[in-house]
Amino acid sequence: MRISSVIAQLAASLVGTVAFSLLFGIPKKYYASCGLIGMIGWGAYLLFHLWMGPTFSTVFATVIVVFLSRYAAVLMECPATVFLIAGIFPLIPGGGIYWTTYYLVVGMQNLATKTGYSAVKTAAAIVLGIVLVTLIPQRVFHFLGSRRLRRNAS
Amino acid sequence: MEQRKVTEYRQSAQDSSFSSRVLNVAARTGYLLLASGAEISRVEETIDRICSHYGVESEQAYVLSNGIFLTAGNDREKSYASVRYIPMQGSRFDRLIAVNQFSREVVRGKYTIAEAEKILKRIETSPGKSDRSQILASGIGSAAFCVLFGGSLRDALCAFVAGFVLYVFVLKSRTAKKSKMVTNILGGMLVTTICYLLRSFGPGENLHYMVIGSVMPLIPGVTFISGLRDMAGGDYLSGSVRILDAILVFLSISIGVGVVTVVAFSLLGGKML
Repeated sequence: MRISSVIAQLAASLVGTVAFSLLFGIPKKYYASCGLIGMIGWGAYLLFHLWMGPTFSTVFATVIVVFLSRYAAVLMECPATVFLIAGIFPLIPGGGIYWTTYYLVVGMQNLATKTGYSAVKTAAAIVLGIVLVTLIPQRVFHFLGSRRLRRNAS
Repeated sequence: MEQRKVTEYRQSAQDSSFSSRVLNVAARTGYLLLASGAEISRVEETIDRICSHYGVESEQAYVLSNGIFLTAGNDREKSYASVRYIPMQGSRFDRLIAVNQFSREVVRGKYTIAEAEKILKRIETSPGKSDRSQILASGIGSAAFCVLFGGSLRDALCAFVAGFVLYVFVLKSRTAKKSKMVTNILGGMLVTTICYLLRSFGPGENLHYMVIGSVMPLIPGVTFISGLRDMAGGDYLSGSVRILDAILVFLSISIGVGVVTVVAFSLLGGKML
């Protein structure tokens, strides 16, 4: 993949995540962190995609997004859902669902099955990623967060 | 000081008007949380926390994805019951964040019950983002996701137009209280039609990326993720309702996009697009 297209995609994920944060009614002061998390998530997806298939890339990218969301939640004293939902949007298989519909209606059953199956796998990968990070106890994030907050104070 | 305050609450909890005020505050807080798209466990926890902070101990809350049942009463506290139906609606994370902050502060003992009522009132009446900025955000988001999925800048321009018009329609049908499925089917049709027109007569190049980008504002990401988190937390009933809701929205969008694609496909004599 060309460098310019990577940069364009990263910028697009940043702008897209911030725009959607506004649609969900997230207050202004969280825009920067939501956008960053969305961009890092998509960047991670692109990076992992160099070595592995889309499903595993999505799992790892989701893990990173959820981890960062819970960390940001501790730092900014606000529910993790806020960052999580905004940040995970680029990973949602919107494209896969469109292609499935398209192939179905133009009568290309094989491709429809293939893309539909991979969209479902991507959704399952997001589930897996979220569940994996849910297993980390909240203590860990409090520990990380309090260290960071203390360093800023001193 | 803190201890004295709590004992004070405990004593006054036996005063029936005080305990019903507390339960009202708890119910309204839960209502706000649920209506803004919070997970079930968060709603239950917040109601519990508020009640126990003000010394109401007999409270029992049962929360579903679209309703809250709250009762209280034992030999010391007066009976109280509240059932509220909360239709599933758009997410308001600003309220979610405000209520979260509010319940933290209540637990820290910052508010008397009268102050809590006042603050809750303020959160309930807080306005959301203006229509104009939502429409603009939808357009910009559509353009960005169009680029993300591989579209060119000219595609992004078209996706901006489609996403913009789409949200004008979504907000109109939201105020007209149209059914969600109808809105999504029509929204999918509208977007696809605009993208076809812009590709044939406008600057658009890749139809597919334009459509993918501009249906993104309809995608039920919040419902889907909240449903998943409910499932993970063991609230299978609410989780499955939310996930089903999300799947139905996905299907409705697909139907809308599919219908227009079929028509365009046959108009163009089966030529690949």
